[in-house]
Amino acid sequence: MNWLTVKLIFLREVRDQFRDRRTLFMIAVLPLLLYPAMGIGMLQMTLLFSEQPRTVVILGEKHLPPPQLLEGDKFVSNWFNNPADSDKLNVVTDTLVELGGGGLNASRNRMLIEQARAIRERIEQHTAIDADVKQAESAQRERMKTPAGPSDKSLAVLQERIGQLRAKQVTIDHELMDLFASSQIQVLIVVPDGLKENIERVNRLLVERDNSHVAGVSYPRPTIVKNRADDKSVVAYARVREVLEAWEEEILRQRLSAAELPQELTRPVGSAPLDLAAEEQISANVWSKMFPALLVIMAVTGAFYPAVDVAAGEKERGTMETLLICPATRTEIVLGKFFTVMCFSMSTALLNLLSIGATGQYMLSVAGGMGRGALAHAGVITLPTAPALAWLLILLIPLSAFFSAMCLALATFARSSKEGQYYLTPLLMVSIGLTVFCLSPAVEIYPVHQASWFYSVMPVVNIALLLKALLLNPGNTGALIFAAPVLATSIGYSLLALWWAIEQFSSEGVLFRDGERFEVGLWLKHLLREKEPTPTFTEAGFCFVIIMLAQFVSMRAFGQSIASATPDEMGMQMMKLMVIQQLAIIACPALFMALILTTSVRQSLRLWLPNWKFVAIAALLPFVLHPLSLELMASLQWFFPQLPDGATRLLRAMGDGEQSLPLILIALAVAPAVCEELAFRGFILTGFNRNGRTRVAIGLSALAFGAMHMIPQQVFNATLLGIVLGLIALRSNSLLPGVIFHFLFNSLAVMRERVSVRIADGHAEEFRQSFWHWFATLGDGGLRYTWLTLVISGVAAAMCLWWVWQSGRAKPTPEAVNNLFASGLAPAQQHSTCVT
Amino acid sequence: MISVQQLTKGFDDLRRGWVAALDHVSFDVQPGEIFGLLGPNGAGKTTCLRILSTVLRPSSGTATVSGFDVVTHPTEVRKRIGFMSNNTGIYDRMTAWEMAEYYGRLYGLPEDVLQSRLEQLFDTLQMNDFRDTLGAKMSTGMKQKASIARAMVHDPPVIIFDEPTCGLDVLVARKVLAIVQSLKDQGKCIIFSTHIMREVEKLCDRIAIIHKGAILAIGTLPELQEQHQQPDTEELFFDLIERYDQQNQPSAAGFAPVAG
Repeated sequence: MNWLTVKLIFLREVRDQFRDRRTLFMIAVLPLLLYPAMGIGMLQMTLLFSEQPRTVVILGEKHLPPPQLLEGDKFVSNWFNNPADSDKLNVVTDTLVELGGGGLNASRNRMLIEQARAIRERIEQHTAIDADVKQAESAQRERMKTPAGPSDKSLAVLQERIGQLRAKQVTIDHELMDLFASSQIQVLIVVPDGLKENIERVNRLLVERDNSHVAGVSYPRPTIVKNRADDKSVVAYARVREVLEAWEEEILRQRLSAAELPQELTRPVGSAPLDLAAEEQISANVWSKMFPALLVIMAVTGAFYPAVDVAAGEKERGTMETLLICPATRTEIVLGKFFTVMCFSMSTALLNLLSIGATGQYMLSVAGGMGRGALAHAGVITLPTAPALAWLLILLIPLSAFFSAMCLALATFARSSKEGQYYLTPLLMVSIGLTVFCLSPAVEIYPVHQASWFYSVMPVVNIALLLKALLLNPGNTGALIFAAPVLATSIGYSLLALWWAIEQFSSEGVLFRDGERFEVGLWLKHLLREKEPTPTFTEAGFCFVIIMLAQFVSMRAFGQSIASATPDEMGMQMMKLMVIQQLAIIACPALFMALILTTSVRQSLRLWLPNWKFVAIAALLPFVLHPLSLELMASLQWFFPQLPDGATRLLRAMGDGEQSLPLILIALAVAPAVCEELAFRGFILTGFNRNGRTRVAIGLSALAFGAMHMIPQQVFNATLLGIVLGLIALRSNSLLPGVIFHFLFNSLAVMRERVSVRIADGHAEEFRQSFWHWFATLGDGGLRYTWLTLVISGVAAAMCLWWVWQSGRAKPTPEAVNNLFASGLAPAQQHSTCVT
Repeated sequence: MISVQQLTKGFDDLRRGWVAALDHVSFDVQPGEIFGLLGPNGAGKTTCLRILSTVLRPSSGTATVSGFDVVTHPTEVRKRIGFMSNNTGIYDRMTAWEMAEYYGRLYGLPEDVLQSRLEQLFDTLQMNDFRDTLGAKMSTGMKQKASIARAMVHDPPVIIFDEPTCGLDVLVARKVLAIVQSLKDQGKCIIFSTHIMREVEKLCDRIAIIHKGAILAIGTLPELQEQHQQPDTEELFFDLIERYDQQNQPSAAGFAPVAG
């Protein structure tokens, strides 16, 4: 590879992008102009809205107790936390109107008071009916206590009366709602008659220490009417409450001091918060929530448009072909384009963050300085520290690389820019979904979390979480230990994505897709008419997708039927479901697809008899791989999140001596061995292997096999086994050795559980003295294998696998001939076989 | 210089199933010769030329350019060919000069050689008045010239023209044909695909008539006329195609059997 060529292509693409108005808009205009403009707009809107005063009406003002609550048409300003807020509420009272006050607003005030009185009337009716209903209900209870008899009739009458009352109340409530909604009142306070006197009476009783009377005091309380569905009313109510609480506290204070009681009487616990957060930490907290999410979204957006332009756009404009004819290799071309996309992804992310950060900080400082609105509580925000920003830069590199390569591969697949945007939208959606996941405070990259190591290898999520932790505290050693795995895996994913992009670029099917119209009907007909002996790559992939979807859909149904089983039946039920699941969800799609889409089911599913040597190896391998796999998984336990409930139950059922062994073996060994092999080593592997790339086929089928297992531990384990199984299936060109291997391997896991339980159950001492103790010991999680076993197994496994890898490599198997067809080497012959 | 043996290329078509875009095609082209590929649209001309320029892989058969196989030594082949397609392949946001310079660098020309080569090319093609015009602003004629400059920048011994006059007005088309003629006089090995008889009559030393992926006739024009007793090129062309379609009527349902 010539780096000069890569540089040449890179420089051309960058210059090309800079001459494109769309790109400039995305990376320069958007961040530098839009965000500040949006910020200013938002600020102005909040100011505009908070300026609007709201109307509060008070009926029965003369019954308010001291201290003074009102001053003219405002609340007294010292009841507010921020005295300036007093201007935001206009108070209209009945006293004011009766005195003819209110100046210019006199007529409006009169109308408001009239509306308020009408509302008060309805409230009183509502309360009166409440009292009636209560009375009727207690009468009803009384009647019910007396034995049934002639009183039956009166009970029915009472029941009817309650119903009538309730119906009336509903009408009144509706009227009340309509009245309040049509009035211009945001909050209405109805002060009952005699409130002042009642409060004073209690004060007096307290001074006289007349406790027996104090306990019995009951008097009508004010009602505050608001409408929670109306924002104006909500805002006004919040302020009114603030005022009333402060005012009530003062009444209480005066009451206590008059009665010579301590002020702390009403706060027996009286805890006080001690906030240790320094100003920078508050800021860091804000940034750590905002920046990772923004970084991910901006990195993917920044990669999106250049990727579409340099890949799909080039195809669309017809320059792709000339570029492919020049001596630059595909890898060089892709790398040049990749670095361009990455460059724009990074600069978009950085410029956007910079602009959002600066705008946000400015807005908060403006809002904080004015002491207004909800933003005022956020305080003054300082920018993240230098080490935090350094981490942001470092982590942006793999993040951008990953997205750039993904976007480039997807955009290469597209025929036109428009198509490219369709393909990339799902990527954008998934990224947004992932960032939302990372925003949750419960999701953290931190050693306390069991799932941390797992999160640290998940693409995109790992970077976002690490950044979240490091922005909060750049010296966080707890998070720093994750830096290595996060960076390593992220770079790994980027390389994989890049490899995929290069693959896309090397495929003539992708580069020269003709623009023929696609019709579903035509395509289906084509699929059924032009059947080939074995499935295509796409058909194999589709089979996997169907299996995954079916599994997803059935999960709920299976979960319910397990949950509904009694504990005794649970194990049995689970076993039954396992078999059904294997047959219906895994074997059926593969079988049906092979029947419908291919001409040779036998060849598609590898239903040939193998060489006996492969059978022998397949029967031997499980015994040596079982200890290795078990110990590997045990030593990696710290890495994975805890097993979900269902899996633990299944494990328990495996070791349950009560269950019949043949049944467990059928459910956990026979069914998976047959069904999973049919699907994954049959249909899917054959399809993946169509273009003759053995390693890619084995790797992909193993990944599919792993992904099907859902639980992270099993995904890992199954992927490794999938490699072995795929290799055996390809080399022996038969499904049988795989079935044997799979059956024995699963059986061994079951047997180990059972034997462990048996030994632990009273035979531990006997076992310790036996010859077997050289090979296995009894640990916490059942039998564990000794180093001796592992060394023997390791050597034997390596030898077996080497033999399998070597054997049949050069021989032209039916597969190889098939590949010849697949690569289109002999379409003529192929057709003669099809047609004749 | 160019040798094509039993070249076959098939692909999967939604409507027709497996289609042989090229069906056991063989021909040779010598230096200083213009070889015409004459055929209607969809005959397989472009597929054949794309295989020669290494962007498509043949299903079977071999093709060599200057002795290098297009499958095993694609890079060597690419260095020795200039390819000009009917959709000119001009970057919208690059000037004529920048583009020719860019491709010259991709071909690894030393900077001083490249600059003098560019001056010479722009002079002979009379492109100096639009050397700094962006591709998006060029007329079709300008684009065609820029495209020729791009294809010629590394002075390749083999030049492939895929319907170079398609969509051009008579004046520009005439100029392009003149350029092709002058290239022949320089001793280049040229493949020229077209569906226009006049161009073939005027330019080509030898022609192959290609239809539905198969070569129906090959030779110099007088040879073909004599062979099929048809002095008119156009009539000759139609006769051949008609006869071929009649012969292959029964198997019209999808696949055309081997005809060579």
